[in-house]
Amino acid sequence: MSRRITIDPITRIEGHLRIDVEVENYAVSNAWASCTMWRGIETILRGRDPRDAWMFTQRFCGVCTTVHAMASVRAVEDALKLPVPANAQYIRNLILIAHALHDHIVHFYQLSALDWVDILEIPKADPAAASKLAETLSPWTRNSRNELKAAQDKVKAVASSGQLGIFTNGYWGHPAMRLSPEVNLLAFTHYVQALEYQRKALQVVGMLGSKTPHIQNLQVGGVANAIDLDSQSALNMEKLETIRLLLDEVVTFINQVYLIDVCAVAAMYPEWFKIGSGVTNYLAVPDLPLDSEARAYDLPGGVIMRGDIGGVQGFATASDPVFRESVTEDVTHAYYQGERPLHPWKGETEPQFTDWDGDKKYSWVKSPRYKGQPMQVGPLSQVLVGYAQNHALTRKYADLALGQVSAIAKVNATPALMHSTLGRHAARAIRAAMLGELAQKHWQLLVDNIAKGDLTVHNEPVFPSGEVEGVGTHEAPRGTLSHWIVIKGGKIKNYQAVVPSTWNASPRDESGAHGPYEASLLHTPLARPDEPLEVLRTVHSFDPCMACACHTFDPSGRQIARVKVL
Amino acid sequence: MKKITIGGIGSVLLGDDGVGPYVVGMLEAGYSFDESVMVADLGTPGLDLVAHLSGIDALILIDSVSNNAPPGTVTLYRKEDILRHGPAPVRMDPHSPALSESLLIAELAGEGPQDILLIGITGDQYEVGAGLSEAARQAAARAIAEVLAELDRLKIPYLKLRAEPFSAWWKPMAEALPVTNRSER
Repeated sequence: MSRRITIDPITRIEGHLRIDVEVENYAVSNAWASCTMWRGIETILRGRDPRDAWMFTQRFCGVCTTVHAMASVRAVEDALKLPVPANAQYIRNLILIAHALHDHIVHFYQLSALDWVDILEIPKADPAAASKLAETLSPWTRNSRNELKAAQDKVKAVASSGQLGIFTNGYWGHPAMRLSPEVNLLAFTHYVQALEYQRKALQVVGMLGSKTPHIQNLQVGGVANAIDLDSQSALNMEKLETIRLLLDEVVTFINQVYLIDVCAVAAMYPEWFKIGSGVTNYLAVPDLPLDSEARAYDLPGGVIMRGDIGGVQGFATASDPVFRESVTEDVTHAYYQGERPLHPWKGETEPQFTDWDGDKKYSWVKSPRYKGQPMQVGPLSQVLVGYAQNHALTRKYADLALGQVSAIAKVNATPALMHSTLGRHAARAIRAAMLGELAQKHWQLLVDNIAKGDLTVHNEPVFPSGEVEGVGTHEAPRGTLSHWIVIKGGKIKNYQAVVPSTWNASPRDESGAHGPYEASLLHTPLARPDEPLEVLRTVHSFDPCMACACHTFDPSGRQIARVKVL
Repeated sequence: MKKITIGGIGSVLLGDDGVGPYVVGMLEAGYSFDESVMVADLGTPGLDLVAHLSGIDALILIDSVSNNAPPGTVTLYRKEDILRHGPAPVRMDPHSPALSESLLIAELAGEGPQDILLIGITGDQYEVGAGLSEAARQAAARAIAEVLAELDRLKIPYLKLRAEPFSAWWKPMAEALPVTNRSER
């Protein structure tokens, strides 16, 4: 006898991600992921100037602004075969890294840690014991008894007020929560500290991009930052030095707190290394180009099929011909017209809305496929694709994390465990540590290049009279992002964005194959089906983000999310 | 000097959802403020809104609202109105009710603003690429008056400029001129 559970956060006036699961004998037997809002926003770009596209695409999503700006300028540059000056590459890379570090820190602490950390256990903790435990794990200087006690007092004050505030709706006391009061306290202390460090990362984005959340410094062909080491109004040594110091602080937090916390939490929930694998086809594109022509990259890309790490196929460039030719979007189960899967350059976005029907159409998200197969994207894909290709930096931090988990859990944690819910969290922390090291490297590359006397930041784009096609990619915090553009006579003829959450949240395709969210939920055990914490753990591990939300404030307090058990 | 942020919230690509950023554009074009006043188009933030709330004394937000009033109605909300119903029962992604949660998180960290005013404008339509409705456009001027009244109440000085009228870069295609080479780039 199965039951259907619907988790549907009706966010403001437009919908977001909705998850439906069927539960049999306290385990998920079937799953559907759907987005309840039309994603036709690209249509507003048709007929516009390709040089302006990034300003519009930056508004696709308020959380991932910079990534859509960057993919857009790269798409136009790819279509024009326009190189980007080395300075512009480094400045862009620093912005992308700083944004990703901010995003990963917020994701772990503010968006998903409370799936594992029980706030109501915190008042029981002994701050001195917690501080002592922390000393064995990390050299972080802000784990003192006093700092932990201050954090505990915040929770006590909230708990004793009778109003849980931000903690109102957690699954506190759920049987799937298992950390000791001391570990709960440590994690919560870092939840509060994380707010400071994610802000420092955003400050770097703002200093280089001139504004957040919408950067202003991009141009097709480069960036608009004036570099002049002696000018107060330009990017000068003083500003570069401030950026370096901010990055150093963020990197220290990642290495001494974020990475350590993820490993410690993982080590205490080892069964979650066996839950939540789902689609084990992985896709990542190369990113962080090292030169003007983008011949070399600091992050490798490629494809792994069916979890076969040894069979990895690498991509040479961020717009590798194999990648360009292999992506299609299927609309069998999405609310769009169309019979056959289409390549994004030929993509259509003609709505055909029906009611939610799990056997037919049930989502506004299309089903992107690579050579006809569903693919998982995100930090886990990036780490596995790098690990499989013996990428030294990936190995360094992946082996460090696995070693840490092994030491705490007293098990032998191997890369095979990464195909899981916890694998996705661990991979995000590993990627953050890699990006932190690369931030420092690209800062140095920029400073060295300027020191050589190269102040170039922009190459002027020239549009041919005929038709050209391009793809701009970025390995964003949530995975492979690609913008596909067709330009005719200097105007946009077609534009499609295939975003990371489209890959991961995709509905079934014409063959009936589940998308990654759906597949990852199958067989998940549920201790209390009417409090589906375990479903949220796996969905949150992907860092879902349904882009292009309408943000109208609704003061009426009508229930804005629900868990419905049928 | 009190630190204050004036932020427009909403998506400029979705009709009247862009009214917050539109009001911010009008403020930037028509007024000059002290360094202690930050005027920002905050777009459609998630919890990254917290980063904009720390270290400030007062916050003025302009956002479209859904409240059963006629389109173009301007309604003022204070902190207790915004937080009355608490955070969302289930948070699925980083966009989920960002405003109330961000305020609660900033408060928890002890760094949120004390004075909060949300100037809500009831929207008429939220069509992709449609631009502002006439109702929202007219309400924008009344929202500016509310921003200035709040600044007066907080004793924050500002200067009215003799400026060109604000022209939004995200206009629908039919009204749009190329936006490249805009001066603010």
